[in-house]
Amino acid sequence: MSDLEIRARIYDALLRTGRAPSAAELGDRQALQRLAAGRVLVLDDAGEILMAPPFSAVPTPFLVHTPSIRAFGNCIWDALGIAAMAKSDAHIETSCGDCGALMRVDVEGDTVKGGGIMHFAIPARMWWQDIVFT
Amino acid sequence: MLLFRDEEHIDRWCGQWHLPRGATLTLETGWRLAQAWHGPDRRDPEWRRRTVEETEELFASLGLGGDFWRLR
Repeated sequence: MSDLEIRARIYDALLRTGRAPSAAELGDRQALQRLAAGRVLVLDDAGEILMAPPFSAVPTPFLVHTPSIRAFGNCIWDALGIAAMAKSDAHIETSCGDCGALMRVDVEGDTVKGGGIMHFAIPARMWWQDIVFT
Repeated sequence: MLLFRDEEHIDRWCGQWHLPRGATLTLETGWRLAQAWHGPDRRDPEWRRRTVEETEELFASLGLGGDFWRLR
């Protein structure tokens, strides 16, 4: 299977189920390494998918509900990105980065509703220097 | 990228973590950025990462300028 087919399988699984397939399920660890080298994925130390942007393979404070899946975003931008990629209405459950107060963001069609301000701490040219922190 | 209740909470978070204040976006602008960035279907064999030039154009189209959004 080509790297493009592996990539398609990963995103197909994420968009259908919200869950990233394991390296064993994909059956090609080298392809995952190449996709990570191309900054398509972020892998953990065991070579499993940690991030397939905008999806997180592990729970985060950015839970996205669509009518068909529940999935975790890596950050608030990625949580919105899951709604954009799924081309679906969604609601996002998150919390204030400072005080932890629960916050909800709703995507309905082409509009977004909710309170709060998004803060990007890391300048754009440095995002990939530490993508997990970013 | 985190969501905060208001500007005061951003300032407090930056102080706690000893980080300079970064850039703030309204939810509306963040949604536009997310649509442009993550909307294209990555299952499509034609999908590829955006070039630096394309990313700069995207940022500019959303009014995201200045040193923070500079890529080179």
